[in-house]
Amino acid sequence: MTTVDPQSLDNTYDDAAHRTPLVLGGLDYEGVTDTACGFWEANSAPKVWWILLGLAISLLMLLGGLIQHLLFSGVGVWGNNNPAYWGWPIVNFVFWVGIGHAGTLISAILFLFRQNWRTSINRAAEAMTIFAVVCAGTFPGIHIGRVWVFYWLFPIPTEHLAMWPNFRSPLLWDVFAVSTYATVSLLFWYMGMVPDIATFRDRSKSKIGKIIYGLLSLGWTGSARNWHRYEIAYTLLAALATPLVLSVHTIVSFDFAVSQVPGWHTTIFPPYFVAGAIFSGFAMVVTLLVPARELLGLKELITLRHLENMNKIIMATGLMVGTAYGIEFFIAWYSGVTWEAFAFWNRAFGNYWWAYWIMVSCNVLIPQLFWFKWCRTTPWFMVIVCIFVNIGMWFERFVITITSLCRDFLPSSWAYFAPTWVDLGMLVGSFGLFFTLFLLFCRFMPVIAMAEVKGIMPRDHH
Amino acid sequence: MHETRPAKITSPIVSLSDGYVRTIPSALIVAAIGLVLSLILSGGTERFLYVYLTNFAFLLSICLGCLFFVIIMFLTRAGWSVTLRRIAELYAMCTLPLAILFLPILITVLSGSDVLYPWVNGGWSIHNSDGALAHLPADQLPPLEQLKAAFLSPGFFSVRWIAYFAVWGTLAAFFLFTSLRQDKEGGIQLTHRMQAIAAPALIVFAATVVFASFDLEMSLEPFWFSTMFPVYFFAGGVLSALATITLTALWLQRTGRVTDEITTEHYHDMGKLMFGFVVFWGYIAFSQFLLIWYANIPEETFWYDLRINKNGWKTLSYVLLIGHLFIPFLAMMGRTVRRNKNIMFGATIYLLVMHWLDHFWLVMPHYNHAPGGHVRGLATTSFLTMIGDVACTVAMVAAFIAIFCLVARTRPLVPLQDPRLGEALNHEVH
Amino acid sequence: MAEKSSNESKEQKLVGLLAQFDDPETLVHACNEARESGYIKMDAYSPFPVHGIDPAIGIKRSILPLIVLSIALGAVVLGMGLQLYANGQDTAWPFPGYKFLISGKPIFSIPANIPVTFEIIVLSSAFATFFGMWILNKLPRLSNPLHRVSRFKRVTNDKFFLLLESADEKFNRSGSESQLKGWGAVSIDEVNQDLTDNELPKWLTTVGILGAILLMLPPAAIFSQWGQTNRHPRLHVVPDMDWQHKSKTQTVAANLSNELDGVRMMYNDLRSARRPVDGAIALGSLDIDSELNYGIKSDFAYTITSGGNALTGVAGSQGEKKEDTGAITVPAEQENIEKYVTTFPENFELTQEVLDRGQQRFEIYCAACHGYAGAGNGLVNQRAMALAATGGATWTSARSLHDVDVKDDAKNPVGRIYDTITNGRNNMGPYKAQIPVNDRWAIVAYVKALQETGIQSDTPVVEDK
Repeated sequence: MTTVDPQSLDNTYDDAAHRTPLVLGGLDYEGVTDTACGFWEANSAPKVWWILLGLAISLLMLLGGLIQHLLFSGVGVWGNNNPAYWGWPIVNFVFWVGIGHAGTLISAILFLFRQNWRTSINRAAEAMTIFAVVCAGTFPGIHIGRVWVFYWLFPIPTEHLAMWPNFRSPLLWDVFAVSTYATVSLLFWYMGMVPDIATFRDRSKSKIGKIIYGLLSLGWTGSARNWHRYEIAYTLLAALATPLVLSVHTIVSFDFAVSQVPGWHTTIFPPYFVAGAIFSGFAMVVTLLVPARELLGLKELITLRHLENMNKIIMATGLMVGTAYGIEFFIAWYSGVTWEAFAFWNRAFGNYWWAYWIMVSCNVLIPQLFWFKWCRTTPWFMVIVCIFVNIGMWFERFVITITSLCRDFLPSSWAYFAPTWVDLGMLVGSFGLFFTLFLLFCRFMPVIAMAEVKGIMPRDHH
Repeated sequence: MHETRPAKITSPIVSLSDGYVRTIPSALIVAAIGLVLSLILSGGTERFLYVYLTNFAFLLSICLGCLFFVIIMFLTRAGWSVTLRRIAELYAMCTLPLAILFLPILITVLSGSDVLYPWVNGGWSIHNSDGALAHLPADQLPPLEQLKAAFLSPGFFSVRWIAYFAVWGTLAAFFLFTSLRQDKEGGIQLTHRMQAIAAPALIVFAATVVFASFDLEMSLEPFWFSTMFPVYFFAGGVLSALATITLTALWLQRTGRVTDEITTEHYHDMGKLMFGFVVFWGYIAFSQFLLIWYANIPEETFWYDLRINKNGWKTLSYVLLIGHLFIPFLAMMGRTVRRNKNIMFGATIYLLVMHWLDHFWLVMPHYNHAPGGHVRGLATTSFLTMIGDVACTVAMVAAFIAIFCLVARTRPLVPLQDPRLGEALNHEVH
Repeated sequence: MAEKSSNESKEQKLVGLLAQFDDPETLVHACNEARESGYIKMDAYSPFPVHGIDPAIGIKRSILPLIVLSIALGAVVLGMGLQLYANGQDTAWPFPGYKFLISGKPIFSIPANIPVTFEIIVLSSAFATFFGMWILNKLPRLSNPLHRVSRFKRVTNDKFFLLLESADEKFNRSGSESQLKGWGAVSIDEVNQDLTDNELPKWLTTVGILGAILLMLPPAAIFSQWGQTNRHPRLHVVPDMDWQHKSKTQTVAANLSNELDGVRMMYNDLRSARRPVDGAIALGSLDIDSELNYGIKSDFAYTITSGGNALTGVAGSQGEKKEDTGAITVPAEQENIEKYVTTFPENFELTQEVLDRGQQRFEIYCAACHGYAGAGNGLVNQRAMALAATGGATWTSARSLHDVDVKDDAKNPVGRIYDTITNGRNNMGPYKAQIPVNDRWAIVAYVKALQETGIQSDTPVVEDK
């Protein structure tokens, strides 16, 4: 393996005459494999990993304990009240499902647009997608109250129930959309991983590793005939996942927008939600990958160029979200509908004004820092910006859900929503679930799509 | 293994030759005859103005789509599309001359005629429940509508449109002339400059297109509002821009003006993009419809009610659903279609016709709402009137071709010294 | 050069020759050479898909997209069909659909069904793609002779391989080897299939059989109980709403107890409801006067059921004095005429005004069927009888109030008339919800007056009893 020249790690310069190399440090095919497998092949994980895992698991246990508390005591332990029946659980759901969009977007849409820089980040982003969807699914799952009859959500012909779900309800569309999304993302992720699991199989030194990775790799040999069908299938899945990923957040936005609640019923919601989802998803990918590339020693593969590109997308989608805020405000005024105008006035200057301005500053103002090259190419700084973006996107969902519910048509049904400690604990705990899964993934699964990275390396490398 | 082609244009420099510059007069003559014929057959200026507005919106959306294409290609540092980019740059530049075609609309508004826009005279001309037209003076409007009346006033409307054309013209001119300069001088720094401008350009572009779409087509019915409307306008515009670029490229190749700079691979990719935008258009159109249909709020639904339940517009709505979404979706799915130049030729024309119908569908139902009383829907339109519509369309397209010839003149039809030319020439879809 | 397999004693079969190359270009070149030399049964192996290799070894385009397309088109029908079945119809099939109107939308409304249909299409197509790809690739295949070649481990890392199969007509052990060398192979291995590879290990068979038997136990246990009855209470995994901690009014907190909890009382005096505080004033009417409220002698008051009087509240709900009456339900039995009062109750005062009001109320509520004179020929009755005659309706004629049985004080005392108005009789519905107690007695009085004057009279006669 080549020694890393620190000078060669900056590939953020702009040169239209040449394509910037995406694999640095003079790595050849074997070097890519060695680098990508390095963390997995290490005999023991570094202390940092153990500390983070311990922290994540304790938060996960907090989540588990609180869910148990919820199940035994009922949804009254949350701050949900009348009229804010959708309290933090739905805010958290939309937040997580939004984060779960970047992975499939990177894998599918950037694949269709042949953006080669996706290759070294797509695997981690897909994994993040699936873990985020797991977190997302938890919240509506426990919000239904009687969790043990969750199967009523599905069209199962049963004699004793003699009933079917209401297919005209956006909440049911959500069940279909999120479960389809989780399934297809899982298939996509796993299929993409099979050639790399085969690498693990062939490099595994322990018997158990050989058996497990051997089973998971399905006997992959890298045959040209297999690759042929594999590539077609990959393109097809990408083509399917692209409208799917749009549809999921679109349908989440339908949950709000088909209603007549002022501030919810606006036609821009579908594309606006999708842009917001991509925005928050990329912010989360950057937040995760900057420390991960340090910890896992992947600086040659996940280069500054990759991070810079993601930051540009964050800035672009942030502007789209900002534009949507603007259009909403303009139309609220232009429509001449009293309630609509009030809803937006109330967002900015009502009793949740602080949430609104946190949202605007984190989502629209702070990402503008990425106009400066230093800001979008300095890892520690971009993480700070991206954490702000994540906070802002959580508040966006809070603002949408809570302000509109608490101030609808009738002043007599106005109320103020305040979360309880259980709400807070569950939000924090969901991060425990997310990070536990992600840390385990980093240690035991191929974090880099090695086969794809090798495929885009310049041919005259040898 | 295929051979790698050198990264420069090997065929002689390609342009519309002088002969085509001479076609400008004939195109203008066709335009003049068409407009006169249309005025006669439409039986007056009212219907004519609506059809004129339809065509103007159609052509403007194409030019704006091309401007978007140019900006986005620089923003994404795309290499594959370099040889197609000049066509888009030329069409984008046509936005500025289009301002001349906007004058009839602007003059109508400034002359205080509420034929097109009911808000022109301070108050609004609205329909009562019995279909009769009533004029609501400004001081009788609800408070918010009064504010809107300040926004929708002939003066501010004109100011906005001058601003739009100034912005679009500046952007298009910057990209076209910088690109042309690169043809002569070469140099990577010009590409870098255009890339640097692309990001702020996109923001300005988005802001102007949002309000232009509100002004041009949404305010035909000032009571109606939809936050999705600019996206709808944009989606259709980009789709037809892609179709126009492809169609132009095919025509230029057929007439031998562009040879092997543009290959099947490019058409394949343009086909994919068109397929994508067909789906995107369908997605936006469906989302807008579904949200309004589902919530069923009267102040929104009447707009669709007009297009689905009144005066035969239902037929056109279904034609759009099937013709603008289902047929191209199924037809453009396969790679064999996208790689066949003859089929692509037909497909692009088809998509443009559909996009024209889309604007017809956006604009014409409001013709019923124009002063004058009796119901004039699609079903009651006479054959001669339709011929008049077609004449107007032919005239406008001819005028547009004249504008394009004027803009293109003897300018090269592909960038000659773009640093990424090699990528485009060696582009291969895999 | 060719590596020998470690166990030569086992029966082996030569699968082919595996040549290793160091870079993709040489591999593609070798593949082209092999195809041009006439080889058909061969395959290339690489760590990533090598551009240009498909034509080099003659791979035809896969039919996978067509499979996916057909599945997707099927899913359109499936998705729409599912929703039509579930929400669009309610034919009495074994699992009937469930038609219900919601938010004013049509029962089967296409726009609202698009999202679910779309998701079903995507899900089905994704499954078709994923599983179709593996099936077409004949994977998973866990036992592959290639994995026996130690050098082949590099195929998932950085090396490229070409396998010429021995089954190919052109294959020739030594000839092929030299050809491969000529095309730039770095090393060549024999690939041998160990014929024992295909046998399952013996322990696996045992474990498999044992596992299958164990798996059969739960369904067998369930099936053995099929159709059996059991005196034990049902197993409640989740209490749900079957055992709610609530109590019904006027009960001894019965349903708060079950085997798990033991008897629990809401209050110390074994009541499930709290007693009114001292000095509380009752709202609503006090209907302890059974003669007035029910037309039943106080000796028979216990026969009054809890649903006795809807207008003035549930009998017995006022508490103390009638605790026993409220909770006891008398089963339907032979009517006991004895229980009805035979004279107007004490608390009902009959005056001319009351009788006038009785007439007025009678003409509002009763005359429609019974007629103004009580002859049983009201307008409703006439119309219904006419319809019944042509089979257009079924109708039991309203009784004439001048019938001998109806007039007979022994068979039909005033209490019973009152009861008839209150609770209805035969086809006649109850009027307790419409007519207050005193008005009902006023009607009774007017009915008696009608009966006294007979059917001929059209002016009511006042008779003071």
